[in-house]
Amino acid sequence: MPPDALTASRSRRHIATLTRGWQRVGVLAALVLLVIMASLLSPRFFTVPNLLNVLRQVSIVGVLATGMTFVILTRGIDLSVGSLLGVAVVLFAGSMDSRGTAVALPLGLGAAALAGLVNGIGIAYAGLPAFIMTLGMLSFARGLAFIYTGGTPIPILNEDFYVLGNGYLLGVPIPALVLLVALIVSGFLLGLTPFGRSVYAIGSNEEAARLSGVPVRLYKTIVYAISGLMSGLAGLLYTSQLSIGTPIAGQGYELDAIAAVVVGGTSLFGGKGSVAGTFLGTLIIGVLANILNLTGVDPFVQQLFKGALIVVAVFIMSRRT
Amino acid sequence: MLRRFGFAFAVAALAASTPAWAEDKQPVTQKTCTELLSFYKSLPFTEVLPIAEGPVSVPGKSGDLTIGFSQTAFNHPWRVAMLAALQAETCRHPNIKLVVLDGNVDVAKQSNDVRDLLARGVDAVLLSPVESAALVPAARAVMAANVPLIVMDRDVPTDKTLFIGQSNVTMGEGVAEKMAKDLGGQGNIVVITGLKGSSPAVDRDQGMKNVLAKYPGIKVLATGDGQWIRDPAVPIMEDFLTAYPKIDAVFSHAEESSWGAQLAVARANRCKDGIRQYTFDGSNAGFKAVKAGAFQADGNYTPFIADIGLRAALHKLMKKPIPGEASYKFPGRQLVLPDSPTVVAGNADQWIGRGWGDFEPTPDPCKK
Repeated sequence: MPPDALTASRSRRHIATLTRGWQRVGVLAALVLLVIMASLLSPRFFTVPNLLNVLRQVSIVGVLATGMTFVILTRGIDLSVGSLLGVAVVLFAGSMDSRGTAVALPLGLGAAALAGLVNGIGIAYAGLPAFIMTLGMLSFARGLAFIYTGGTPIPILNEDFYVLGNGYLLGVPIPALVLLVALIVSGFLLGLTPFGRSVYAIGSNEEAARLSGVPVRLYKTIVYAISGLMSGLAGLLYTSQLSIGTPIAGQGYELDAIAAVVVGGTSLFGGKGSVAGTFLGTLIIGVLANILNLTGVDPFVQQLFKGALIVVAVFIMSRRT
Repeated sequence: MLRRFGFAFAVAALAASTPAWAEDKQPVTQKTCTELLSFYKSLPFTEVLPIAEGPVSVPGKSGDLTIGFSQTAFNHPWRVAMLAALQAETCRHPNIKLVVLDGNVDVAKQSNDVRDLLARGVDAVLLSPVESAALVPAARAVMAANVPLIVMDRDVPTDKTLFIGQSNVTMGEGVAEKMAKDLGGQGNIVVITGLKGSSPAVDRDQGMKNVLAKYPGIKVLATGDGQWIRDPAVPIMEDFLTAYPKIDAVFSHAEESSWGAQLAVARANRCKDGIRQYTFDGSNAGFKAVKAGAFQADGNYTPFIADIGLRAALHKLMKKPIPGEASYKFPGRQLVLPDSPTVVAGNADQWIGRGWGDFEPTPDPCKK
């Protein structure tokens, strides 16, 4: 990296860190406000079992959104995460009982990561727009899941697997712990490694990043592979929580994941945001769904709240910076 | 240049691989005719409009007959089972070719699909609509082309050759009656519906409401949208369990959503509450769950009507009368099917094996 480019990128990074800090405060304030409102609306909201429920309820979309954050930080998009989750789910379910966990886990996670890698190669090396490449993968992967199962769900009888999705470790639901680990590892990768800094650089200005020596194509490919791997991990949580491998698993989840990332303050234009924000965004959406159910709001009306929340949250966030 | 060749190559490879795929296995169900013919013996309605095995001869027409089937979607095993019944009937008659189109739960796509079938010159159209009213123009186009139109499962409120289906309203009433009796007319229930706004969800809900009008002691605490599937039902039920300390029964429109609710009950340590489960779908797995006591009733909604649909279309083409057809509230005729009873502990044994799907039920999380 030439010296003046380095200082320029350093000062930009400094500013970026500051605004990121502000954004996180904004998102956190929104979450706190929502929690206070929820506690006033239902006496059962602010209880330990309910809050643990919320953590488990958001774990699947949370893991997807964590992977999505990498992609959106590079100014990309990954529409295939729901379908990759579906592929992982049917592979887990199809191999868990017959071949055991030692085969099933690498198979499902590996297939999802591989599909993510294919996305990355298509986008970074073949120059396809991310929207198109991952839209194609959305349909292609869903087709694979249907072919693999013949359209029929596969029930899972494995007991250890049930514990993974439904058990507790130190009083915390295991899926929530999986989400936390995914967040911490991702936060470390993005915040404390040259790779992570390059991800922000690519999203801010891809050309500048390339000129300053960032291996843009390689890193973009890795970013989509990470998103694929996270889809596989989310698939693991899905299968173990629901005890079933259905080819429609995860349909539409890509939009929930994108919503969580955006509500969490990550810019769709790349270079700005964090996984901590994504976690808060995931919680905001999860708490909202929870309180609407607790207060018995009509399901027709619930959709209005969710839609309004996304728009209002992003509007407020864009005012702040 | 290279890229263009690469694309052409990929398309050619895909095109070349499809016939190999289609040779022995039927599309979507991935079953061979041998498998489907043995499955045919287990179908419940083969004595309705029977046609002998072998080629079908139609006056004024030589050679193959092409029958088009426009299905709502194949995103649910119920829909796949419906196709399997149709494919099984097709396998019995070597001169019938089946064209199957996937409506993808999209009325616009299905409307186009039906017109595409007409453009292909099919001899009859079998239609299982995504949405009743939206398919009216497409149904009119079929009738205007003088092609027999057999509508199955969900009806279309316009002219057709024949409608074959069961009533979700009376089925909803049957399951709700059983629930009201079990509860002794008193209790708190929660409802998990099928995909909101879809006609079976609306009808099953109507059936329940018709019955609950007679039982003022049964209170609906809350309603959630389970979308026919498992994953949305889990958080909904978890939240209902948190909000309401006393729930006596769950009235769910789909077995999958009932399993989701049961998982939530187990997680919340509420198995001891003895929350009753009332559900619909009529799968073999559901009947086994009724026998095991996980569900108290299962609305017996069979997908095995598409084989009747094909036989009805063939009857029309052969200019044979259809015994049992009658006028009804909509234009066209209806074939009234014998009512399938609600499956409860007492009759589950008779029904296991006569429902749809060959998968096992989810292990009851409350029996772990």
